[in-house]
Amino acid sequence: MAGQYHNPDMLVTTDWVDEHRGDTATIRIVESDEDVLLYDTGHIPEAVKIDWVNDLQDATVRDYIDHERFARLCEKHGISNDTTVVFYGDNKNWWACYALWVFQLYGHANCKIMDGGRDKWKAEDRPMTTQRPSYPAVSYSAKPADMSIRALRNHVQEHISRGNPLLDVRSPGEYTGEMLHMPNYPQEGALRGGHIPGAVNVPWATAVNENGTFKSREELEVIYQQQQGLHPTDDVVAYCRIGERSSHTWFVLTHLLGFDLVRNYDGSWTEWGNLVGAPIEKGTPEPVTSA
Amino acid sequence: MSQSLTDIIHTFQSVDEEMRTELLLDYARKLPPIPQRLQQRRDAGLDRVPECMTPVFLWCEPDESDASRIRLYISVAEESPTVAGILSILVHALDGGTKDDVAGIPHDLVNRLGLQNVIRMNRLVGLSAILGRITRLADDPQPVQPVN
Repeated sequence: MAGQYHNPDMLVTTDWVDEHRGDTATIRIVESDEDVLLYDTGHIPEAVKIDWVNDLQDATVRDYIDHERFARLCEKHGISNDTTVVFYGDNKNWWACYALWVFQLYGHANCKIMDGGRDKWKAEDRPMTTQRPSYPAVSYSAKPADMSIRALRNHVQEHISRGNPLLDVRSPGEYTGEMLHMPNYPQEGALRGGHIPGAVNVPWATAVNENGTFKSREELEVIYQQQQGLHPTDDVVAYCRIGERSSHTWFVLTHLLGFDLVRNYDGSWTEWGNLVGAPIEKGTPEPVTSA
Repeated sequence: MSQSLTDIIHTFQSVDEEMRTELLLDYARKLPPIPQRLQQRRDAGLDRVPECMTPVFLWCEPDESDASRIRLYISVAEESPTVAGILSILVHALDGGTKDDVAGIPHDLVNRLGLQNVIRMNRLVGLSAILGRITRLADDPQPVQPVN
């Protein structure tokens, strides 16, 4: 249908959340931010905090928690398999999308993003509190990870060898590799700069408006399909530096534009830019002309 | 270390992790506002510490009333209470202090404050750069020029 997102139900408005937030038996609001203490300064009253480091990452091995620990996390927050989980957070919902992606990795279908995130809620003077809600524990059954949305480095190597498209969602300076030569630029531990061969560059925030809401379907089609030559049936891998911005782009491509096969390469540049022998391109490729 | 920083560290070490988080948030709320002339520099995009992913702006000037002391001003984006908290601790400990106070900041400040689970590895590059800049500026503090 012209104008409508592929999965329009994946996005809810601040109005909708305000209206439904009291329905804590069937809806669980989750705040996920870059700063672990931002939630503690004030949050939507019914929201629980899920922190990307403390709750979603393994402390010893660079990986997500496994599906059993994911199930325990849900149970602790009173999230059952049927619960509708509504994610929101800071900075245009970047970490909210990351948390949603993890939930979908383990098979939780009923997920939504509150369009505009935390900043829009605050700007509209909606209720916030510092009190933490607690919910009665429930049982949750998690499936092993759905690798159709996740790419590991060997997948990326195969992907390149097939000439399939990659989407680098970092800033242009990081993409071209010139940033590495700027004095005092945050290196984030990558020993080499540039991008994965074949990747095109669309900085992640291109997909959102000033107020943090996602752009319209038409605008997103221009950005990703017309300007970059990507097609909804393409096999696409998205990446950034540690996989949080690329999960935002994964959300856009998968749920708003209806791409069939998009995987988030969470190893991203902190892995590829440090990987012995990994091929790297620098600079800007020839512009794509749309058909 | 300055007496203030010693006291602050002692306070953090004497409470449990939950209370340390509360203390850090309290410090974040107490980060002193910066004078308008420095707000203008910040708003013009000057004096940012680029190594820190969070927008942090920093100034160190000689104390007008006592040449042996420095003034320290820091501005942090609102969305980063963790960063605001640790930098507020630095301002409380070092503003009005001496160069020796600055030199005495322990390299393992985060650990000494018991905040390893809150101020995580990805922040340490930025924090290290901030401490480095404070040290360099405190060594030869100059009055900051206003924006024209």
